[in-house]
Amino acid sequence: MHIRVESLTHIYARGTPAERVALRGVDLEIEPGERVGISGPTGSGKSTLVQHIAGLLTPAAGRVLLDGVPAHARTPEARARRRQVGLAFQFPEAQMFEVTVFREVAFGPRHLGLNADEIAARVRWALEMVGLDPDAFADRVPFALSGGEMRRVALAGILALKPQVLILDEPTAGLDPRGRADILARLRAWQEQTGATFILVSHHLDEMAGLVDRVVLLADGQVVADGPTRHILGDGDRLRSVGLSPPPGVVLLEALRAAGWPVRTDALVIEEIISEIVRCIER
Amino acid sequence: MPTPFIQTRALEYTYFAEDGRAIPALRGIDLTVGRGEFVALVGPNGSGKSTLARHFNALLLPTAGEVWVDGLSTADPRQVQAIRQRVGMVFQNPDNQLVAGTVEEDVAFGPENLGVPPAEIRRRVDEALEVVGMTAYRHHPPHMLSGGQKQRVAIAGALATRPHCIIFDEPTSMLDAEGRRQVLQTVRQLNAELGLTVILITQSMDEAALARRVLVMDGGQIVRDGPPEEVLEDPEVEKLGLGQPFAAEVARRLRERGVPLPSGLLTVEALVAALTETHRSYAVGLPG
Repeated sequence: MHIRVESLTHIYARGTPAERVALRGVDLEIEPGERVGISGPTGSGKSTLVQHIAGLLTPAAGRVLLDGVPAHARTPEARARRRQVGLAFQFPEAQMFEVTVFREVAFGPRHLGLNADEIAARVRWALEMVGLDPDAFADRVPFALSGGEMRRVALAGILALKPQVLILDEPTAGLDPRGRADILARLRAWQEQTGATFILVSHHLDEMAGLVDRVVLLADGQVVADGPTRHILGDGDRLRSVGLSPPPGVVLLEALRAAGWPVRTDALVIEEIISEIVRCIER
Repeated sequence: MPTPFIQTRALEYTYFAEDGRAIPALRGIDLTVGRGEFVALVGPNGSGKSTLARHFNALLLPTAGEVWVDGLSTADPRQVQAIRQRVGMVFQNPDNQLVAGTVEEDVAFGPENLGVPPAEIRRRVDEALEVVGMTAYRHHPPHMLSGGQKQRVAIAGALATRPHCIIFDEPTSMLDAEGRRQVLQTVRQLNAELGLTVILITQSMDEAALARRVLVMDGGQIVRDGPPEEVLEDPEVEKLGLGQPFAAEVARRLRERGVPLPSGLLTVEALVAALTETHRSYAVGLPG
């Protein structure tokens, strides 16, 4: 699905003393199958922007087009497109309510009007995608699971909708490092398998580095940078200027450079960082 | 050895799941935390970190064994208020901890509940806001603040009850990088300048490296206890999947590639200094 954001403005609590402009004329285009990271400091408008893309909010000005149709419109065409956008909020497990894992994951597909066999097949597939054995987990009570398992069930519920666009808002918040790495690897495998559009909202820039090809930076409700991942995340000064901390590898390479090392400073993944340091030593 | 502040003996805590299964969350914890220590508590999800910390201010009581705080037993109902006054807690999500309409009312909430006289409350609120650097925001509504600012207000609220110890339960996990920096700086300052006992529960080994002692939990037990330089590079700890401080991981991989580096390089500054030393010796042709 083609996503086009045109001059989008959003204002919270309009006309009250608490009025706050969250987005100020954002323009953005995302092609089908793109892997895009959206980052920015707290309050920069990241979550508001993706809620607009999912058609959950009404713009104060401007619009979001999903394959040419306004995302928030009350028309069957708009509704059909919104169904193709899966959005996982922060702590998505907080919105679970069903009595078994199976019913929780099946909730979305059931509302798509699929038959029982298709629903069961999708639930199995989605649970496997997030690394939960369907036979062991289908009958369990969601609330008796660990935090990491609950997160996986919530994500499976969204994958089971087979969305063309998957939007994840801080999907690893609160998980331990191993759980974090595992979930991200699985989401990446899912993206590669389905070719869906993948939008990752996060302020963990080191996590984002290996997952997306393009990064959009927001600050104070505006797009301040948009480009290839290395170009955006490898530019420590720009990240700091909008109140973000560069990935730790960039910080390390910058410090080496300041100490006189002839290193590039835009290496993002650890293998690349090691090679860059070794290259200088072996010169 | 500093005076003991928190002590547990054979502490066990078991709860029952919905299906009736008994879940042993803590399995025999013997621990002493001295007054003024800065301790990081790490471990995988479900290892018992938060459950243990909740015993330190009598939010939970042991199924077996004992817990003393400043010599007071948490099992004695008459001491619970005194214990809670000594041990404050700051949680993950600042939005769940802020209750009042303005920042200073929020900070005053704790001492008001303790029946502190108004003039004293005024003094404590002013001091606490000063310590966390939020005096300029005293009349702001908390929901208008950034995540890092909210968390600092929550810390001021804990400080206003004049605790000897503050437990931070993943205080930065919902914050952006700037918020994390602000909160960690405040945490260090409370320990270094005010001498508070600090217990920091965290998933970040870079944050754990800030402490002077690291406790590693797994399966309801403390499996490792020592200074960060010893604990955070321990291969047994690595097996728990907690990761390593970023600099330590880079150093390990460089050692594997034949670059001579000492162990215990837990920060970027330490790593850069060590590498630059090595590199200079390469440059002047000294043995590496």
